[in-house]
Order: sequence, then structure tokens, then C-alpha cells
Amino acid sequence: MKITLTVNGDRYERECAEHHTLLRFIRETLGLTGTKEGCGMGECGACTVIMNGRAVNSCMVLAAEADGAVIQTIEGEAKGPTLSDIQASFERNHAVQCGFCTPGMVMSVKELLASDPHPSVDAIKEAVEGNFCRCTGYTQIVEAVTELTGTGAKGGLDHV
Amino acid sequence: MFDDKRPEELAYVGRSSDRPDTMEKLTGEATYVSDMRLPGMLHAQVKKSPHARARIVRIDTGKAAAMPGVRAIITGDEVDVHIGLYIVDKYVLAKGEVRHYGEAVAAVAADSLEEARAAADAIEVEYEVLPPVLHHMDALKPDAPLVHPDLGSYGYVAAAFTPMPGTNIANHTKLRKGDVDKGFAEAAYIVEREYDCPSVQHVPMETHVAIVQWGKGDRVSIWTSAQSPFTVRNLFCHAFGLAHAQVRVQIPYVGGGFGGKAGIGVEPLCAVLSRKAGGRPVKFQATREEEFSLLPCRSALTYRIKTGVSAEGKIVAQQMTMYWDSGAYADYAVNVTRASGYSASGPYEIPNAWVDAYTIYTNKPYGTAYRGFGHVEFHWAVERHMELVAQAIGMDPLLFRLKNALRPGSKTLTGETIQKNTGNVVACIEDAARRIHYGDLTPEEKERQKQTGWKIGKGVAALHKAPAMPPFTATAVILKMNEDGSVLVNLALTDYGQGTYTSIRQIVAERLGFPPKKIRVAFENDTDRDPYDWQTVASKGLVLSGNAAILAAEDLLKNAYDVAAQALHANPRDLAHDGERVFLRHHPDKGVSFSSMAVGLALPNGNGIGGPLIGVGRYIAQGLSNLNKETGEGTPALDWTFGAHGMIVEVNEESGEYRVLKVASVYDVGRAINPDMVRGQAIGGMMQGLGTATCEGYIYDKDGRLLNPSFTDNKIPTAKDLPLEVECAVVETPQIDGPYGARGVGEHSMISVAPALGNAIQKATGAELTHMPMRFEDVWRALENREPIDNWITKSPVGSCRSAPEARPKE
Amino acid sequence: MLHPFRYLAPQSAQELAAMLADHASDGKILAGGTDLIPNIRNGVFKPSVVIDVKKLPDASSLRLGADGLSLGPAVTVNDILRSKDARERYPVLCACAHELASHQVRNRATVAGNVVNASPCSDMAPALLCLDAVAVIGSGTGQRELPFREFFTGVKKTALKPGEWLDRIVVPASSAGARGSYLKLKRIAGHDLGIVGVLFVRLGGSLRFGVSSAAPTPVLVDTVTAKDGPDQAAATVLGSVSPISDVRGTKEYRQHMIGVFVRRLLAEVK
Repeated sequence: MKITLTVNGDRYERECAEHHTLLRFIRETLGLTGTKEGCGMGECGACTVIMNGRAVNSCMVLAAEADGAVIQTIEGEAKGPTLSDIQASFERNHAVQCGFCTPGMVMSVKELLASDPHPSVDAIKEAVEGNFCRCTGYTQIVEAVTELTGTGAKGGLDHV
Repeated sequence: MFDDKRPEELAYVGRSSDRPDTMEKLTGEATYVSDMRLPGMLHAQVKKSPHARARIVRIDTGKAAAMPGVRAIITGDEVDVHIGLYIVDKYVLAKGEVRHYGEAVAAVAADSLEEARAAADAIEVEYEVLPPVLHHMDALKPDAPLVHPDLGSYGYVAAAFTPMPGTNIANHTKLRKGDVDKGFAEAAYIVEREYDCPSVQHVPMETHVAIVQWGKGDRVSIWTSAQSPFTVRNLFCHAFGLAHAQVRVQIPYVGGGFGGKAGIGVEPLCAVLSRKAGGRPVKFQATREEEFSLLPCRSALTYRIKTGVSAEGKIVAQQMTMYWDSGAYADYAVNVTRASGYSASGPYEIPNAWVDAYTIYTNKPYGTAYRGFGHVEFHWAVERHMELVAQAIGMDPLLFRLKNALRPGSKTLTGETIQKNTGNVVACIEDAARRIHYGDLTPEEKERQKQTGWKIGKGVAALHKAPAMPPFTATAVILKMNEDGSVLVNLALTDYGQGTYTSIRQIVAERLGFPPKKIRVAFENDTDRDPYDWQTVASKGLVLSGNAAILAAEDLLKNAYDVAAQALHANPRDLAHDGERVFLRHHPDKGVSFSSMAVGLALPNGNGIGGPLIGVGRYIAQGLSNLNKETGEGTPALDWTFGAHGMIVEVNEESGEYRVLKVASVYDVGRAINPDMVRGQAIGGMMQGLGTATCEGYIYDKDGRLLNPSFTDNKIPTAKDLPLEVECAVVETPQIDGPYGARGVGEHSMISVAPALGNAIQKATGAELTHMPMRFEDVWRALENREPIDNWITKSPVGSCRSAPEARPKE
Repeated sequence: MLHPFRYLAPQSAQELAAMLADHASDGKILAGGTDLIPNIRNGVFKPSVVIDVKKLPDASSLRLGADGLSLGPAVTVNDILRSKDARERYPVLCACAHELASHQVRNRATVAGNVVNASPCSDMAPALLCLDAVAVIGSGTGQRELPFREFFTGVKKTALKPGEWLDRIVVPASSAGARGSYLKLKRIAGHDLGIVGVLFVRLGGSLRFGVSSAAPTPVLVDTVTAKDGPDQAAATVLGSVSPISDVRGTKEYRQHMIGVFVRRLLAEVK
């Protein structure tokens, strides 16, 4: 079937297989491979994109359901050649290791900050609870958000 | 390669520095193999065994072959290729017999994923189901079925391993130090306990994936999500009888490894399909479920420790027996056994020691390397044991640890003498204890306990680990100067998130005296372009590649000075340099820029001298030796990284629920090249350790089917599972032969997290936990003195798979 | 990867009824998709047609009216949490909604889907049971109403007949203002299916417990009285459930924790 949608500000009119997920459509049909698949079951959040203002697991949305939707993926996050505030804070705070969870993680943080510009640490944890990260242990991700929103500082290593 | 510089004398080492890979990873531009598509590429799917052990009676691929889009179907009968890292015991596809649930018996390559899946589903396999041997202790019984009846005919690395044909024992590692009988005879107390932990999954966020193109003339191109490009190439060439020059392995960004991608994985499967499909590239990516059972896991362990202690609390003798569950294939498990065998006591001095460590085949998904390489598992036992021994002899566990900790002059199990510069485990233990106010509760904690009714307890656990690697492990780094005087670094040690490349860049910058922004470390690895590195494992990367990077920088400078000396008509001894140019020390205004020398210096008359500037650094581990196979004597350790965790936990005694309030982790890293990277490893590993401590683990039914092969029932920690407070600190006792004094810390953060938690829970409530993970129910059962649920192999539906102690082999 | 199927999006109840009639055996209703899509991926369901109910008129409406709070079949779990009406008048609904899965899942998962699945570990079912909610069931021949007390008939089974769909959930005005809290035992602090869950609600003079993951269906216990002590209350709740042993926990532990939670919830009130 044919669907029309807006992704990162660009309008697309494309044929999509009716059994394709939005994740597969974004990655294979549109070639936007920044969004990842970690489980295909909605457990890990690597596939998180923002659909009509809400962070969703794109592995559990059919592309057909996204007809008419406004989508943002990680590719739409940087402002031209420079990183967005969220991305820059992730960089400063070393909130990225292997990078596979990062696109989804940034999308979850983005939705959070859009509705709550000064979230508590608990609110941050809750917003990214659905995004598994096996590398960082999450602390530097939480710090990236608190440092950005002015409620916390960059973490450090003590020398004995 | 420590040159006695104080931290303030270093410009880049020891300081914060941006990672070179974040921009691509944060924008979605970083390309992983899972993102790649090649022209003409086919998609592979596998047919997997639903049985733990069965004879393959018949495979009918007729129906599948006729289906649309199908380009190649392969069964085990067609592929006579054995693969193995230390013991060559595995076929690409099961042949004759399947040895574990989830093992691949056939594979399909088709134009689309859907077509490949439909065809794989249409392959008919007739099995004769055989009784499996599931628990590793059952596999030792005399009447146990043999997982590998042909073990005696397999090739293996004889310098390190001892398989026992006619049994399920893939390797027996021995260590004998002093006289244990005498030690036990002299002991005032003897405590003997057994501990265990289940198999667990690494859970890299990117599952195993490879694309392989078997081109005309048997030229093979491999793109893979792997840790060790040269090991993939080497094992692949050995398996298929190909010349190394015919095979190229490329590794772009990798979405996590943790040891699970250390060796060879799905590459051979893609290769045989590509060959059969006439050379079209074939991609296979494991589903999350396949990651759990088609691909390897971490071995389960049963560890029995018998300790003799003097009246003063000094350990005088210890007998240690490890039973490692290898699963169906030996892979890295035999080396996990070996490396754990020679470190088996933890960071404590044992004057009289006796270790037997067995790797045991069972009909389960096979075990491989996993962050810590056995040390997470056996430190669980050792550090719980130290706690229980201390309790049994009426001594404070912290004091007991400090009394027995390795110190300068102590001898390790293999006979190595600990030096002052080996590292300081005592400082780590003491600092971890201080950070949690070990010993009593603060007024705030007492108040919290009163408010919640949950009991607060504090525990400490120490750790050590040396890289598990061949004694002659080597690597190389090449620096190439670009036309503008900036530098490209090539190495085949991979950075799949650890941050090693950031540190390598700082080391190169420091030694060259160039700002880090002028140094680029090439991320994609390529066996055709990069110099050799053994493997990205063992926390040896920073030490070996860091040293090679220093040597490469010195070589580059020497080459630059040679050209400058000619250009300036000076002796190289009278030259100096900064980030831009080489100049005369006596007349700094007379010099020649790096950019003008970068690709060969053109003299004013047009003559050229020099040529492109490169620097080569080669480094091989020094002074290490094979271990005596009877006594374990020898020098296996490139370096020892020591550490300790302090943990504060609150426990509800009625329900077994608990919350981790604080973790403080301290490591002697020699020198923190990049404090942020050290902290990233420290917290990441701690959380991974906490996951295996609290909830992770394979659960099988009585027929050997994995019951929790997905995130639905194999949870990993989320952001909400963070301890309320996390502290990380380093002790810096320089490693004299480490780069700027550094030693590795990538794995260590995961080690001893579980026993620190177990010790804290015991302190809070008295619960004596000896098996991992510590689920709330396990804590409750321990508190109620109920039989533990041993449901890692479930018999209908809860049962137990405890095996009889008489099964244990006698020396 | 999902197997090939067709996607249909009816615009009216009549269309939906016709599609359900045409695809009685090979059609599946799609709402939030957070259960259906993984089940298709895992081969649990193999529909040839997926029928999306989100385009039905009013499907996403969450309305507070004289009869109570009315939820269309596409109202998501997070819609509940974002609704001021729900938060102020039906805090119990929010307490359960908040415990369901992760934020992203709650952004898609629907309340209707969570109960139509009839999973024993449904987090929304205890709230709907305790609040006397009513299922408004649509079909080609009209609507019928069924209290949720009669909705769950077995493991993953409901009283919906072939050709019927859950068209609306009405949480009655008489339940507004009910107070309570939901304790859910999980393996991790993060998102997880419950090992057991106990909701305690005070509605007027009556005490109610909604229990998840402890029987073939979510269970309502409304026979505990204010005079009962905590142990008696726990015994009454335990008498109404029949937990099993599985990979998440043993029967023994589930029983023990239901008792712990009942006593803890009653203590919270004091």
C-alpha cells in the first residue's frame, strides 16, 4: 500500500509492504539506519523514534499505521552540522559507548525534555527505563540530562 | 613504559578527552554490520534443533529448495569443516547429531528475509531424540552419555590444555603449590563450602551479524560484528584451508561484545551459503532469541572450596575444585577454566594450594569468553567464601581479607612474587570500605532503617585479574602522517565502546607532543590494512597496544628527525619539536614543519628527501611463560589489576526484596589514561555485574530446552535499577611496563559485584546465599531456611537438578 | 520480521463488523500493537489480515461524562496518565497504568488491548475489576454491556464472541474518588511482567483487592471487610487465587508475597 508521512521534516510518499514495521520501513525503504533493532519485541528500546510527538518502539508499529504521521529519528536531531543540545551533552558526559542504544536513548530523552524541561533524576530514569544500555550502566546518561538541564554536574573519578 | 612523570607533567595522559567516535554514534551515521546492505545480497535464516540431543535421521530440503527466492540451502552433511579455537570440536552445521537446543542443522539463503524464513520453516528434519546430559555434575557420572565420543581425535592446543577422551571432560587444569595436607593438618579451622552460578548471556545490543562474500577464485570477504579481526581470519583460514592472503575481514562499528564476539561466530555459516549461491554476498543476523541459544553464553560454574585457617586467621591451606559447564563445545571455556585455575584464590596469599579445574561438556548452548573470563563466576564463590570463613572463625570479614591479601613479597598460586609495583589490593579494599562507612550504620542509615523497616547491611569484596592470553601475545600500531602534519593511527585492536581508542589517541598525542585533535584513530578495522593484533579481549588492549603506540610515535619522530636533520644540516641530537615543526634547539627559529615533511620533503631546488612519514610500533608481552601442566607453576600475568567493591543494601526480611543503596568501586589502574573512560568502564561493568547478581541466568526445562531465551524472561538492568549512589575511585600504583604506568580495567568492574551484594545481604539479614543470581525469592528462601530453588534446569516444573557428590572425579 | 499479511483500517463500526465477519478465523484486531506485533513475530498468531481499530470514530476519545470515564479502544495507557480527569478522579487507574511496561510501550499500548488479551498478568485489569468498570462490546448487530467481573473467562480467554470487539470501557461515576495503591513484584526495578500484583481499593465502605499473575485470570476479591485483621484479609485473598510455579517464581513464593502485599497495603492505610 502507499503511505505518506513526514520524517525529519521531509515528506515521503512510498509503497510499503503491509507487514513491514515502521522500523523496517525507516531502515530499509528510507535508508535511515540510525534507528536500530535490538530485540524486535518492544523490550529494549533501540528502535525508539518519535511519532506524532511521542517516543514509540518502531518495531511494534506497522508502517501502514504511520500513514500521515510525523516522525523524528536520530538523523533529524542534529542542527545542520552541529550536534543538538542533547547530543552535545551526551558527548560531554561520555554517555555513549558502543552507540547501538544511543539513537533510541536520545529520542526518549527528547520526548522527556519536550514535556518536562527540568526532570528529576527519577523522571529521567523512568523516561529511559525502556531503553536498554549494556555498556554505560546508565549513570553517564542520567548525568548528560541533569547537566544539560542544570540540575546536576558532570560525574568524576576519584583518585585515592 | 612508565617514565616517572608526575601527572602535572603530562599534557594529555591522565586528563579528560573527547571520544573520537561519539559524533557518528550520536547522529546515527555510525554504520554497523547490521546496517549494511551489499549489491545482490542474500538473506540467511537457519533451521534450529528443538532438541538438546538427537540423532539426525533425515533432512529433506526438497520442498524448501523449490520455494520462491531460494538461492542456496546447506545441511551439515555437505560441509565437512571443523572449527575450534583451542579444541577443534565444532561443525559449521550439526552433522549426524545435534548437541544442544538451538543448534543450527540447516541454513537457507534467499532473496528476502521472508523467503529465507519460509524456506527454513519448510525444511523437514527427522530426529531420533537421545537422552541429553544437562547438568555438568551429571556429565561426570560414569554412565553419562558422551557429548563428544570422538574427543580423542580432535586437534587441540597441547601446551595449555588436557582433554580426557572417553569422558565429558574437555580440559583438566591442575595447580599444586606447597603441601596442602600439611597445611590442613596445621589448621585450627577448616571450612568447606560449595557455590554455583548459572549460564548467562552477554546481551550485546547488536546481536551477532555477518556478511560474507565467497568470490571467484576463493577470495573471501567478511564483514562482521566481531571483536578480533585477525582471529576471525586465522580460524576461518584454518577451517576452510584457505591462504590468509585470500581472506579479508572488515569490522565497522560494533554494537557491544563483552567477550561474546571474541572469536569466530556466524561467519562460516554465511560463507558456505555464499559459496553455494555462486558468490553472492550473504547476510545473517541472529534474532535476540538466537543470540541466546544458537550463539554462545557464559559457562555455569560449581565451585567447591575447602580452606584451612590458623588460629590467628591466616589461610594456611586451600583446596579448590572448579566444575565449568562448557556446554556442547569447548570454544573459550577451556581457557576460562585454565585462567580461572591459576587465579582461583582471588587476591589472597595461599601458601599451600591445590586446584583442579574441569571443563565439562553438556548438551547445552556452549560457553565462551565473557567480560571477566571466569573471574566473575569464581570470585562469587571466593568472596562469599571469605565472608563465610570469617564468620565461622569469628573474625570480621574485612580484617580477614586484609590479613590474607596479597602484598609485596607474597607469592601467587603460580609462584609469581608480588612486587610493590604489581598493584595495591589492600588500598582498594580499605578505600572501598571507607566509602561505605563499613562496620556500622550512620545516623541517617539508622533513621532510614527505622522509617522503612528494611534492614541495612554493608559488604566488601575484593578482586584481581590478569589478562588470559598466550604468553607471547603481540600487537602492532602504525602511525601515518597526513599531508597537513596530522596523524592517522591504524591498529586492529577494536573499540566496540570501551574507549580504548580515546586513550590510544591520548597516548599518541602525549608521546608526539601533538594536540589530540591532530590524531585520528581509524575506527573500521580491516585485516588487509591494519597491522596484526591477537584479539580484543582480556583487558590487555590498552597495555599492549598502548605500548605499541608509544613505540610507533617514537619511530615516527625518529623518522621525522632524520629528515629534518638532513634539511637543517644538523645532528638529530640537537633537534627538538613541537606540534607543528622540528627545529634546532639552539636556534628555535630554524626549523622544518611536519606538514612539509609528511609525504617527503621537497628541497628548494626540487630534490626530494625522506618519503611519507610513518611510525611502526611492535610490542609483545614480556617475560611470560607457559604453565607447568602438573603444578601450574609459571608466569601467566601481563599485569594484575586489583580492585574492591563496597556495597550498601537494604533488605526486607519478610519478603526477600532488596534495594542497592550504594556501590563504591576502587581499582588500582596504574594510571588512569582517561578518567572518564575508566569511570565508564567501572560503572558499566558494575551494572552488568549487578544484572548477573540479581536476575540474569539461563533456565532450562528437563529436556534441555531454554525457557527464557528473550528479554521477556531474561531481564537485564534498566536505568531504574541503578543503585541510589555510585562512586568510583582509582589507586594509581604505576605498572612499570604499562603505557604511562597504566594497566587494564575493562573486565574488572564486573568482578566481585555479586559477592559484595551477597555479603551485604548477609550482613543485613544473616541470609547465607551461595548461588547466583540472588532473586528476591532466593533471599526469602535463605531467610526462611527453605530448600533453594535450583531451577536452572527445571524438572516438572520446579524440581532440582542437584547431583550426587560422589560423581566428582578423584585425583 | 513478520510474515506477510494484509492491513485493513475500518472507518466505521459497520466496516469493522463486516471485516470481522469475513475474517473470523484469519483476522486479528490491532489496537496499540504492543502485544499483537510481538506475538505475530514470535509465530504465536499467524493472521492473514490485521484490522486496525484506531481509525474508528471516537476510538481515541477519553471522556468524562455523567456516567463516568469512557475510554475508546485506542486510548493508550499514557493517555490515562496524562489525563487530568483520570488523575484526579480515578487515581487507582493511574496507579496501575503507571506500573505497565515502559514509557514507550505505554505510549502505544491501549487499555482495551491490555484487557482483551486477558493475560493473567494484565496490570489494567485489577483496576477495572475493582472500579466496577463495564465493557461496552460492539458487534454487527449492536452493542451489549458486560461488567469486567464477567469479562475474563480463562487464560487469555474473554467473554467476547466471534465478530465482537471491545468498543468502550466505562469506569462508572460511582467509582470516582476511590483510593488505593498497586504493588507489583518484579524481577528488576525496571519494566517487567509481574511475579504477582495486588491492588487495594477503598470504594465507599467496601474494600477490594485486584490480583494479577496469581490465577488463570485477573482476580477481584471483594469479600474482605473492614473488621478483618490483616492476616484474615490475606487469607481471604489467598483463598481466591491459585498461583502456579514458572520461571518467574514458585507458587509458594507467589502465595507468600500476596500475603505480604495485602498486609503491606492495609498497613499503608493506617
